[in-house]
Amino acid sequence: MLEACIFATILCGFFGIILKKNLVMKIISMDVMSTGVIAYYVLIASRKGEALFTPIIPVENGIISHIENGAYSDPVPQAVILTAIVIGFSIQALMLVGVMKLARDYPTLESSEIEKHNTP
Amino acid sequence: MSTLTIVSITLPLFVGFSIYLFPRLDRYLALGVALVSAGYALQLFVAKSPLTLQLLDSFGVTLIADQLSGFFIFTNALVTTAVILYCWHTNKTAFFYTQMIILHGCVNAAFVCADFISLYVALEVIGIAAFLLIAYPRTNRSIWVALRYLLISNVAMLFYLMGAVLVYEANYSFAYEGLSNAPTEAVALIFMGLLSKGGIFVSGLWLPLTHSESETPVSALLSGVVVKAGVFPLMRFALMVPEVDPIVRLFGVGTALLGVGYAVFEKDTKRMLAFHTISQLGFVLAAPEVGGFYGLTHGLVKSALFLIAGTLPSRNFKELHHQPINTSIWIALVIASFSISGFPLLSGFGAKVLTMKNLLPWQVIGMNIAALGTAISFAKFIFLPHDSQGEGNVKPSFWLAMIILIGGLILANAVYYEAYTVKNIVKPLVTIALGWLAYFLIFKRLAIKLPRMLEQFDHLIGLMSLMLLLLFGMVFA
Repeated sequence: MLEACIFATILCGFFGIILKKNLVMKIISMDVMSTGVIAYYVLIASRKGEALFTPIIPVENGIISHIENGAYSDPVPQAVILTAIVIGFSIQALMLVGVMKLARDYPTLESSEIEKHNTP
Repeated sequence: MSTLTIVSITLPLFVGFSIYLFPRLDRYLALGVALVSAGYALQLFVAKSPLTLQLLDSFGVTLIADQLSGFFIFTNALVTTAVILYCWHTNKTAFFYTQMIILHGCVNAAFVCADFISLYVALEVIGIAAFLLIAYPRTNRSIWVALRYLLISNVAMLFYLMGAVLVYEANYSFAYEGLSNAPTEAVALIFMGLLSKGGIFVSGLWLPLTHSESETPVSALLSGVVVKAGVFPLMRFALMVPEVDPIVRLFGVGTALLGVGYAVFEKDTKRMLAFHTISQLGFVLAAPEVGGFYGLTHGLVKSALFLIAGTLPSRNFKELHHQPINTSIWIALVIASFSISGFPLLSGFGAKVLTMKNLLPWQVIGMNIAALGTAISFAKFIFLPHDSQGEGNVKPSFWLAMIILIGGLILANAVYYEAYTVKNIVKPLVTIALGWLAYFLIFKRLAIKLPRMLEQFDHLIGLMSLMLLLLFGMVFA
């Protein structure tokens, strides 16, 4: 179920990139898609939604209490996807700056229009 | 040796940012970094055994440095040096050199890393640095071309990320070796990302516009080394995981044919060179075990050709036929064109012979047709009119760059001198003769303009989903 939702998000984003005409909307669709991918990493880290606890060893009154093996989520994909989130938003910021420059001459920001004027 | 590896990977990034602190030293620092990379690559050739590094415990970064990476790092170093020399007397700001050196460092990182996440980071930073270099003139067109490049590469990398996590799920590790027991959809997704990034087959159709509309030095960098950062991992996979080897080889043949198919009909110099990049990447992939040498010669020759094309008075072949070019430029152009067509005495010959020798039987026909197409399309360059007072605005440092690139082409013959047998020499000569014949009889008079519909942005993204389906089919089969 969770997996289906995530794939729906990714597909929504992907089709948004193709179908939306406005350049800003395309960039936002890309963000939707990357959100989906990030969610997929979180899902895999939680072993398909079965282990949602953070991998912190619980300490009560100075005694390390026992936790069941596999009951906490895997920290590696979460740590890795953090890099991807940072890269994703920096790329978006960069693209939006480019779009701002383009918006001066193409106020509607329709990608087909920009493409027509800028391809030889 | 392991310290050396780590230092030479991190040095470009440190120096890249310090160029911004010492803008007066920009060119010298950049040149220094390129030379250090060259030295490191030579060191890799000398060291016979591959070096495998596992940094930061078992979930950390994995690096593999062997001769294959040595070839690619050496290409990167030579091309960057030549481009820096070419830009020496232009008024490029420190920003330009900063981006160039960061790009250089990340491309090197992509050539040594051996896990999916380091590769992802390297490829994304390459995308950002390339974006900034393409958009450097700040014109509307350059910004649009750069935006288009970044959007496409970022979408491709999102698919790649999904594949990477599936590999992790199966192996609890991001190392390349995990690909062998990863689910099929992981292989399809990762390949789709890398094929788009590396400009292979139809998902590489973004490449002609990007490479032809960038400034001359940037096109030389992009075509010479940056696309190889996407291709190199595919070669690594093919060598590590035997199951994907046929897929990589098939894409090699397909790409080589697609590229020359477009290139023979192209009437614009820079676009023709860009299509040729696609086809030559096909040659690199067609025989992954010897692709390193082919990558080296292609990187040198293609950046030389782009730098030369930047000095020609026009980009249109028809106009060039009426405007004689300077004989000295013409000689450089002819040497480079001969090398890429596989003429003996230049290292393009050795690379072609070596690749042809390592093909599987079913690939041979396709690759020979591609070689013929190469000879046809470079006949357009070779038979341009020239005289000693011809036009051509040569920058003073242009010749220095040419000496490095063309000198490299001649010296690289030593890598595979066994190629010089009578049988091997006759074959490329026949190919070139046939190619020229076909050029004069057919292609010179032909004026077919191939539709550019597939190069539109929306179609490029749409093609990605088709490629994904195709890859699923291939992996399942």
